[in-house]
Amino acid sequence: MSGAQNHARKSWVLLHVGNRRFALPAESVMELAPPVRLHNFPHTSRLIAGVIVRRGRIVPVYDVAPVLCGRESSVHRFYLIADRAFGTSASPDSSEASAIPVNGECELATGEMQPPQENAPTYFAGTLAIENENIDVLDLQKLVSAVRDNPSAANHAEPRP
Amino acid sequence: MKIAMQDTAKSRRSRSSESLILFCIGTQTFAIAADAVQEIRSTDSLATAAVEMELAEVPKVRHLVERSHRTYYVVSGCVHFGLRVTRPTLVLILRQIRTAVLVDSIERMVDVSKVHALPQAFQGEERQWYRGLTYLEDRVIPVIKPDGFLTPEEFARLDRASKSIEARHELEGAVQA
Repeated sequence: MSGAQNHARKSWVLLHVGNRRFALPAESVMELAPPVRLHNFPHTSRLIAGVIVRRGRIVPVYDVAPVLCGRESSVHRFYLIADRAFGTSASPDSSEASAIPVNGECELATGEMQPPQENAPTYFAGTLAIENENIDVLDLQKLVSAVRDNPSAANHAEPRP
Repeated sequence: MKIAMQDTAKSRRSRSSESLILFCIGTQTFAIAADAVQEIRSTDSLATAAVEMELAEVPKVRHLVERSHRTYYVVSGCVHFGLRVTRPTLVLILRQIRTAVLVDSIERMVDVSKVHALPQAFQGEERQWYRGLTYLEDRVIPVIKPDGFLTPEEFARLDRASKSIEARHELEGAVQA
Protein backbone atom coordinates (compact mmCIF):
# COMPACT_ATOMS: atom_id res chain seq x y z
CA MET A 1 0.00 0.00 0.00
CA SER A 2 1.42 3.38 -0.94
CA GLY A 3 1.95 6.25 1.49
CA ALA A 4 -0.81 8.19 -0.22
CA GLN A 5 -3.28 5.33 0.21
CA ASN A 6 -2.27 5.05 3.84
CA HIS A 7 -3.33 8.61 4.40
CA ALA A 8 -6.69 8.24 2.67
CA ARG A 9 -9.69 9.58 4.64
CA LYS A 10 -7.66 10.53 7.63
CA SER A 11 -7.87 13.40 10.02
CA TRP A 12 -5.67 16.36 9.39
CA VAL A 13 -4.71 19.43 11.33
CA LEU A 14 -4.86 22.52 9.14
CA LEU A 15 -2.41 25.22 10.15
CA HIS A 16 -1.51 28.69 8.95
CA VAL A 17 2.11 29.54 8.22
CA GLY A 18 2.48 33.03 6.82
CA ASN A 19 -0.60 33.56 4.70
CA ARG A 20 -0.91 29.97 3.53
CA ARG A 21 -2.66 26.92 4.92
CA PHE A 22 -0.95 23.57 5.22
CA ALA A 23 -1.93 20.23 6.71
CA LEU A 24 -0.27 17.72 8.98
CA PRO A 25 -1.56 14.25 9.80
CA ALA A 26 -3.59 14.62 13.01
CA GLU A 27 -1.91 11.60 14.59
CA SER A 28 1.45 13.34 14.44
CA VAL A 29 0.20 16.49 16.17
CA MET A 30 0.64 16.58 19.92
CA GLU A 31 -0.73 19.97 20.88
CA LEU A 32 -1.18 23.61 20.02
CA ALA A 33 0.92 25.42 22.59
CA PRO A 34 0.37 29.01 23.72
CA PRO A 35 2.94 31.69 22.92
CA VAL A 36 5.52 30.66 25.49
CA ARG A 37 9.01 32.11 25.62
CA LEU A 38 11.39 31.20 22.80
CA HIS A 39 14.86 30.49 24.16
CA ASN A 40 17.92 31.05 22.03
CA PHE A 41 21.52 30.02 22.26
CA PRO A 42 24.32 29.81 19.70
CA HIS A 43 24.02 27.00 17.18
CA THR A 44 24.57 26.39 13.49
CA SER A 45 21.57 24.22 12.65
CA ARG A 46 19.59 25.66 9.82
CA LEU A 47 15.92 26.43 10.29
CA ILE A 48 15.97 26.16 14.09
CA ALA A 49 14.73 29.35 15.70
CA GLY A 50 15.36 28.20 19.27
CA VAL A 51 13.63 26.01 21.81
CA ILE A 52 10.54 26.23 23.96
CA VAL A 53 9.83 24.43 27.21
CA ARG A 54 6.58 22.54 27.25
CA ARG A 55 5.43 20.12 29.96
CA GLY A 56 8.97 19.77 31.26
CA ARG A 57 10.40 18.97 27.85
CA ILE A 58 12.70 21.08 25.73
CA VAL A 59 11.20 21.30 22.26
CA PRO A 60 13.10 22.63 19.22
CA VAL A 61 11.27 25.23 17.15
CA TYR A 62 11.58 25.05 13.38
CA ASP A 63 11.02 28.33 11.61
CA VAL A 64 9.60 26.87 8.42
CA ALA A 65 8.09 30.10 7.09
CA PRO A 66 11.13 31.03 4.94
CA VAL A 67 10.96 27.62 3.25
CA LEU A 68 7.21 27.44 2.83
CA CYS A 69 6.44 31.09 2.17
CA GLY A 70 9.79 32.46 1.05
CA ARG A 71 10.02 34.93 3.92
CA GLU A 72 9.87 35.24 7.68
CA SER A 73 6.37 35.29 9.06
CA SER A 74 5.58 38.08 11.48
CA VAL A 75 2.35 36.57 12.75
CA HIS A 76 3.70 33.70 14.87
CA ARG A 77 1.48 33.50 17.87
CA PHE A 78 1.32 29.85 18.85
CA TYR A 79 3.40 26.71 18.45
CA LEU A 80 2.04 23.58 16.85
CA ILE A 81 3.90 20.67 18.41
CA ALA A 82 4.20 17.57 16.27
CA ASP A 83 6.21 14.40 16.33
CA ARG A 84 9.17 14.47 13.98
CA ALA A 85 10.59 11.10 12.96
CA PHE A 86 14.33 10.63 12.52
CA GLY A 87 15.85 8.10 10.17
CA THR A 88 14.14 7.08 6.95
CA SER A 89 10.44 7.71 6.41
CA ALA A 90 9.86 3.98 5.96
CA SER A 91 11.63 2.95 9.16
CA PRO A 92 12.16 5.85 11.53
CA ASP A 93 14.77 5.27 14.24
CA SER A 94 13.28 7.65 16.76
CA SER A 95 11.06 10.65 17.07
CA GLU A 96 11.11 13.97 18.83
CA ALA A 97 8.54 16.60 19.71
CA SER A 98 9.09 19.53 17.37
CA ALA A 99 7.38 22.90 17.21
CA ILE A 100 6.34 25.02 14.26
CA PRO A 101 5.30 28.65 14.85
CA VAL A 102 1.77 29.17 13.57
CA ASN A 103 -0.69 31.99 13.87
CA GLY A 104 -3.06 29.99 16.05
CA GLU A 105 -5.84 29.34 13.60
CA CYS A 106 -5.63 25.56 13.48
CA GLU A 107 -8.55 23.31 12.72
CA LEU A 108 -9.26 19.63 12.35
CA ALA A 109 -10.45 18.33 9.00
CA THR A 110 -11.14 14.97 7.43
CA GLY A 111 -10.28 14.33 3.86
CA GLU A 112 -8.69 12.12 1.30
CA MET A 113 -5.14 12.96 0.44
CA GLN A 114 -4.38 13.20 -3.26
CA PRO A 115 -0.91 12.80 -4.74
CA PRO A 116 1.22 15.95 -4.67
CA GLN A 117 1.12 18.29 -7.63
CA GLU A 118 3.64 17.72 -10.36
CA ASN A 119 7.02 19.30 -9.56
CA ALA A 120 5.95 19.91 -5.97
CA PRO A 121 8.79 19.94 -3.43
CA THR A 122 9.46 16.56 -1.84
CA TYR A 123 8.32 17.85 1.53
CA PHE A 124 4.72 17.97 0.26
CA ALA A 125 3.35 14.48 0.80
CA GLY A 126 0.16 15.25 -1.09
CA THR A 127 -2.75 17.64 -1.28
CA LEU A 128 -6.15 17.89 0.36
CA ALA A 129 -9.13 19.45 -1.34
CA ILE A 130 -10.95 21.29 1.44
CA GLU A 131 -13.40 24.15 1.02
CA ASN A 132 -12.47 24.66 -2.63
CA GLU A 133 -8.84 25.01 -1.64
CA ASN A 134 -5.95 22.68 -2.39
CA ILE A 135 -3.97 22.39 0.80
CA ASP A 136 -0.49 20.92 0.74
CA VAL A 137 0.18 18.17 3.26
CA LEU A 138 3.55 18.58 4.96
CA ASP A 139 6.06 15.83 5.53
CA LEU A 140 7.80 17.39 8.51
CA GLN A 141 10.87 15.20 8.34
CA LYS A 142 11.43 15.90 4.64
CA LEU A 143 10.69 19.58 5.14
CA VAL A 144 13.44 20.10 7.69
CA SER A 145 15.81 17.72 5.86
CA ALA A 146 15.27 19.66 2.62
CA VAL A 147 16.85 22.68 4.21
CA ARG A 148 19.79 20.69 5.53
CA ASP A 149 20.37 19.13 2.10
CA ASN A 150 19.66 22.33 0.18
CA PRO A 151 20.96 25.30 2.16
CA SER A 152 19.51 27.83 -0.28
CA ALA A 153 16.06 26.78 0.93
CA ALA A 154 16.57 28.83 4.09
CA ASN A 155 18.56 31.84 5.09
CA HIS A 156 20.20 30.65 8.31
CA ALA A 157 23.80 29.53 8.24
CA GLU A 158 25.70 31.46 10.87
CA PRO A 159 25.55 30.69 14.57
CA ARG A 160 22.39 31.96 16.13
CA PRO A 161 21.33 34.09 17.99
CA MET B 1 38.05 24.85 41.43
CA LYS B 2 39.16 27.43 43.93
CA ILE B 3 35.98 29.02 45.12
CA ALA B 4 35.21 29.58 48.78
CA MET B 5 32.20 27.84 50.28
CA GLN B 6 32.41 25.06 47.76
CA ASP B 7 32.78 22.40 50.43
CA THR B 8 29.79 23.53 52.42
CA ALA B 9 27.74 23.70 49.26
CA LYS B 10 28.86 20.22 48.33
CA SER B 11 27.67 18.76 51.61
CA ARG B 12 24.21 20.23 51.09
CA ARG B 13 23.99 18.99 47.54
CA SER B 14 21.82 16.00 46.95
CA ARG B 15 23.38 12.97 45.33
CA SER B 16 21.64 13.36 42.03
CA SER B 17 22.42 17.01 41.48
CA GLU B 18 25.38 18.51 39.71
CA SER B 19 27.18 21.78 40.34
CA LEU B 20 27.45 24.07 37.36
CA ILE B 21 29.17 27.40 36.91
CA LEU B 22 27.10 29.88 34.95
CA PHE B 23 29.18 32.28 32.91
CA CYS B 24 28.47 34.92 30.31
CA ILE B 25 29.91 35.72 26.94
CA GLY B 26 28.26 38.84 25.63
CA THR B 27 24.58 38.57 26.47
CA GLN B 28 24.60 34.78 26.35
CA THR B 29 24.73 32.63 29.46
CA PHE B 30 26.40 29.22 29.39
CA ALA B 31 26.96 26.55 32.01
CA ILE B 32 29.91 24.29 32.62
CA ALA B 33 30.37 21.53 35.18
CA ALA B 34 32.20 22.99 38.18
CA ASP B 35 34.32 19.82 38.26
CA ALA B 36 35.60 20.62 34.79
CA VAL B 37 37.10 23.95 35.85
CA GLN B 38 40.43 24.05 37.62
CA GLU B 39 40.85 27.77 38.08
CA ILE B 40 39.22 31.07 37.26
CA ARG B 41 41.65 33.93 36.70
CA SER B 42 41.33 37.49 35.55
CA THR B 43 42.79 38.17 32.13
CA ASP B 44 45.02 40.84 33.72
CA SER B 45 46.61 38.32 36.06
CA LEU B 46 47.54 36.08 33.15
CA ALA B 47 48.63 38.83 30.79
CA THR B 48 52.33 38.58 31.65
CA ALA B 49 52.34 34.79 31.36
CA ALA B 50 50.50 34.67 28.04
CA VAL B 51 52.44 34.05 24.86
CA GLU B 52 50.98 35.34 21.63
CA MET B 53 50.37 32.92 18.84
CA GLU B 54 48.47 33.28 15.63
CA LEU B 55 47.44 30.34 13.57
CA ALA B 56 45.20 30.94 10.58
CA GLU B 57 43.69 27.45 10.87
CA VAL B 58 42.66 28.02 14.50
CA PRO B 59 41.69 31.69 14.69
CA LYS B 60 39.88 31.29 18.01
CA VAL B 61 43.24 30.73 19.77
CA ARG B 62 45.56 33.72 19.99
CA HIS B 63 47.48 32.97 23.17
CA LEU B 64 48.92 30.13 25.14
CA VAL B 65 49.73 30.09 28.84
CA GLU B 66 51.94 27.81 30.91
CA ARG B 67 50.34 26.59 34.13
CA SER B 68 51.91 23.93 36.32
CA HIS B 69 54.26 22.85 33.52
CA ARG B 70 51.39 22.41 31.09
CA THR B 71 50.57 24.46 28.02
CA TYR B 72 47.00 25.71 27.85
CA TYR B 73 45.57 27.15 24.66
CA VAL B 74 43.39 30.18 25.32
CA VAL B 75 40.18 29.98 23.29
CA SER B 76 38.09 33.07 22.63
CA GLY B 77 34.58 32.13 23.70
CA CYS B 78 33.12 34.75 21.34
CA VAL B 79 34.88 33.36 18.28
CA HIS B 80 34.19 29.77 19.27
CA PHE B 81 30.43 30.33 19.55
CA GLY B 82 30.22 32.84 16.70
CA LEU B 83 29.14 35.65 19.01
CA ARG B 84 29.86 39.36 18.72
CA VAL B 85 33.38 39.99 19.97
CA THR B 86 33.50 41.43 23.47
CA ARG B 87 36.27 42.33 25.89
CA PRO B 88 36.70 39.27 28.11
CA THR B 89 37.81 39.81 31.68
CA LEU B 90 38.10 36.25 32.95
CA VAL B 91 39.77 33.03 31.93
CA LEU B 92 38.37 29.61 32.82
CA ILE B 93 41.30 27.20 33.03
CA LEU B 94 39.88 23.76 32.46
CA ARG B 95 40.80 20.64 34.35
CA GLN B 96 42.36 17.71 32.47
CA ILE B 97 42.02 19.49 29.13
CA ARG B 98 44.71 21.86 27.91
CA THR B 99 42.21 24.58 27.21
CA ALA B 100 41.49 27.92 28.82
CA VAL B 101 38.43 29.90 27.80
CA LEU B 102 38.02 33.65 27.68
CA VAL B 103 34.67 34.75 29.12
CA ASP B 104 33.12 38.04 30.12
CA SER B 105 31.84 37.26 33.59
CA ILE B 106 30.82 34.58 36.05
CA GLU B 107 27.18 34.73 36.98
CA ARG B 108 27.11 32.23 39.85
CA MET B 109 27.24 28.56 40.77
CA VAL B 110 24.08 26.46 40.78
CA ASP B 111 23.11 22.90 41.57
CA VAL B 112 20.91 21.33 38.93
CA SER B 113 19.14 18.02 39.10
CA LYS B 114 18.87 17.44 35.37
CA VAL B 115 20.72 18.18 32.18
CA HIS B 116 18.45 17.55 29.19
CA ALA B 117 19.93 15.94 26.11
CA LEU B 118 20.41 18.32 23.21
CA PRO B 119 17.40 17.73 20.91
CA GLN B 120 18.24 15.67 17.84
CA ALA B 121 17.07 18.59 15.72
CA PHE B 122 20.40 20.24 16.44
CA GLN B 123 22.78 18.75 13.92
CA GLY B 124 25.48 21.39 13.57
CA GLU B 125 28.67 22.20 15.44
CA GLU B 126 26.63 22.64 18.60
CA ARG B 127 26.65 18.85 19.03
CA GLN B 128 30.37 19.24 19.74
CA TRP B 129 29.87 22.36 21.84
CA TYR B 130 27.13 21.24 24.21
CA ARG B 131 26.59 18.29 26.48
CA GLY B 132 22.98 19.25 26.85
CA LEU B 133 20.64 21.94 28.08
CA THR B 134 19.48 22.88 31.51
CA TYR B 135 16.29 24.70 32.43
CA LEU B 136 16.80 27.13 35.24
CA GLU B 137 14.50 29.88 36.43
CA ASP B 138 12.70 30.17 33.10
CA ARG B 139 15.92 30.12 31.12
CA VAL B 140 17.29 27.39 28.89
CA ILE B 141 21.06 27.38 29.28
CA PRO B 142 23.43 25.29 27.18
CA VAL B 143 25.79 23.10 29.20
CA ILE B 144 29.24 23.12 27.65
CA LYS B 145 31.28 20.06 26.71
CA PRO B 146 34.72 20.92 28.10
CA ASP B 147 36.47 18.93 25.39
CA GLY B 148 34.43 20.57 22.65
CA PHE B 149 36.47 23.76 22.40
CA LEU B 150 39.31 22.24 20.41
CA THR B 151 39.41 19.13 18.28
CA PRO B 152 42.35 16.69 18.39
CA GLU B 153 43.41 18.05 14.98
CA GLU B 154 43.38 21.60 16.32
CA PHE B 155 45.43 20.51 19.34
CA ALA B 156 47.96 18.89 17.02
CA ARG B 157 48.26 22.07 14.93
CA LEU B 158 48.57 24.22 18.03
CA ASP B 159 51.18 21.90 19.53
CA ARG B 160 53.26 22.19 16.35
CA ALA B 161 52.94 25.98 16.39
CA SER B 162 53.75 26.08 20.10
CA LYS B 163 56.92 24.02 19.57
CA SER B 164 58.12 26.37 16.84
CA ILE B 165 57.47 29.38 19.14
CA GLU B 166 59.45 27.66 21.90
CA ALA B 167 62.33 26.89 19.51
CA ARG B 168 62.35 30.51 18.32
CA HIS B 169 62.48 31.78 21.92
CA GLU B 170 65.35 29.41 22.72
CA LEU B 171 67.25 30.63 19.68
CA GLU B 172 66.66 34.27 20.63
CA GLY B 173 67.84 33.50 24.16
CA ALA B 174 70.99 31.84 22.85
CA VAL B 175 71.74 34.79 20.54
CA GLN B 176 71.34 37.25 23.43
CA ALA B 177 73.58 35.12 25.66
